[in-house]
Amino acid sequence: MEDKGLFGKILAIVPGLAVMIGTLYVLRVYVEPWMKDAVVFGSKGWLVQVLSLNYILLSILTGMFYRNILFGGKIPTWAEEGFRTTRLFIKTGVIMLGSLYTFDKLLKVGGVAIALIVAFVFGTALFVLWLGKRLGADRSVTATMAAACGVCGVSAAVATAPGVRAKPVDLALSIATILGFGIMTMFVSPFIGKMLSLSDYQFGAWVGTGILNSGQVLATCLAFNPNFAPGTAVAYGEIWNVVRVLCIPFVVFFITAWYWKGEADAEHVSLGSILASKFPIFVLGFIGMTALSSLHIIGAEGSETLHLMRDVMAWVFGIGLVGLGAYIDVREIKAAGGTPLRIGLIAGVSKYVIAMIIILAFIPKEGAF
Amino acid sequence: MKSPTTTPMKLLLALDDGPGARRAVDEAIRIAREKGATLDALFVIDATWDVFTGHDWLSGCNSRIGFLEYMQGLEEKAAAESARAFLERRGDVPGELLTAPGDVVDVIREHAARGYDLLVVSSPFTRGLEVMRDAVARLTRDAPCDVLLVRAAPE
Repeated sequence: MEDKGLFGKILAIVPGLAVMIGTLYVLRVYVEPWMKDAVVFGSKGWLVQVLSLNYILLSILTGMFYRNILFGGKIPTWAEEGFRTTRLFIKTGVIMLGSLYTFDKLLKVGGVAIALIVAFVFGTALFVLWLGKRLGADRSVTATMAAACGVCGVSAAVATAPGVRAKPVDLALSIATILGFGIMTMFVSPFIGKMLSLSDYQFGAWVGTGILNSGQVLATCLAFNPNFAPGTAVAYGEIWNVVRVLCIPFVVFFITAWYWKGEADAEHVSLGSILASKFPIFVLGFIGMTALSSLHIIGAEGSETLHLMRDVMAWVFGIGLVGLGAYIDVREIKAAGGTPLRIGLIAGVSKYVIAMIIILAFIPKEGAF
Repeated sequence: MKSPTTTPMKLLLALDDGPGARRAVDEAIRIAREKGATLDALFVIDATWDVFTGHDWLSGCNSRIGFLEYMQGLEEKAAAESARAFLERRGDVPGELLTAPGDVVDVIREHAARGYDLLVVSSPFTRGLEVMRDAVARLTRDAPCDVLLVRAAPE
């Protein structure tokens, strides 16, 4: 591969990044305000209030439009490097989200979040291991789907694949299933949340527990309420999400150990080695940001600094979500099928519905902060 | 197709590891023998896994690198197996065995444009992530040479 040097690499990012930034600018400055004023079915702002078509969902939809229609199914070479920065934007946004909390606030909801997430993560993983056996699925397919449905979709599937010797076709189908299910829930959940009059606390808890993919948890919370502040859907949803992300190495260890138990040529896998290779280091940035917030270094609630930071956060996430949409290839998702699809649908729907029932029964409308 | 009385015909066989792979190899060899053609076989190592897993923004760098190395290993193993199966059956038909990394369809199209008269492909074409995409439609759209689609043998 040609080595472009640092300057060349930065230059290669510019076209794609310019498209993402330009898109978000148009959506936030022109399209969303127009939608807020548009009268549909005799109701002003129906598109935003009922369909949640705020700049977050519009960013994802526009990204999907670019990839699937405008670019003909593939991000063109000139835009590739720029769109590749998507992960960086979303991770940066999540780290900045740490500023919405202080440790005492985290403690108030942390116990509930940990209990629910651990129960759902390991409950789903165990359910999928059982279901895979019932459906006669290959052990590597079952293991990949257990991780993907239990923790956080694509990331967990990627983290688990080498340890359970996942086959490329099965892995591709598993990822397509997770993405397809996640996209569906991303567009449907805000509508359901508003229909059931869920509070931000309840919605964040439900989505953080029930949706399979972390990127989609974030996007769904922001579609429900696009504000970044303590007590909003994204603030609650992200606590759930961070706890879930921290579960990745433990679930990978658990599933890998399960897989090797049934294999004659079993290798030793230690939790330490898995923690070292699979630990999501950016979570430390999130915790660091919460520490700064707890020490009141960033500024008090309502301060100019925090206001600016949240505005930046909205742009950072928005840019990242245009890119997230551009990674959604409708052809690939349409091709989902076979055992991964059956497992994914059964586990995904069960998790989504059971999480809703538990949230309605046990999570109060008023959040802890 | 060119007449064998002018310059020797050049065939390109796109190797895959799907259900039609064996028939496509046999068909390409048969045509090459009949026409006295050279037959090059191309196996593309799918290098699009990084893009396909673009939604994975939570994994640590080590985790992603480990995954991509694992997929690369599987691709290389598939390349070696396809090559072995092809060479076992090719016999005395002249030609080269090529391996190249990249987007499977793009690389095949690029190679097919290098003076080949016929591209032989199994249908469905299931190399790497093309199992998820409409590879045959992409390959036949504005194809740089004639394309022969070989169906998988009926069960």
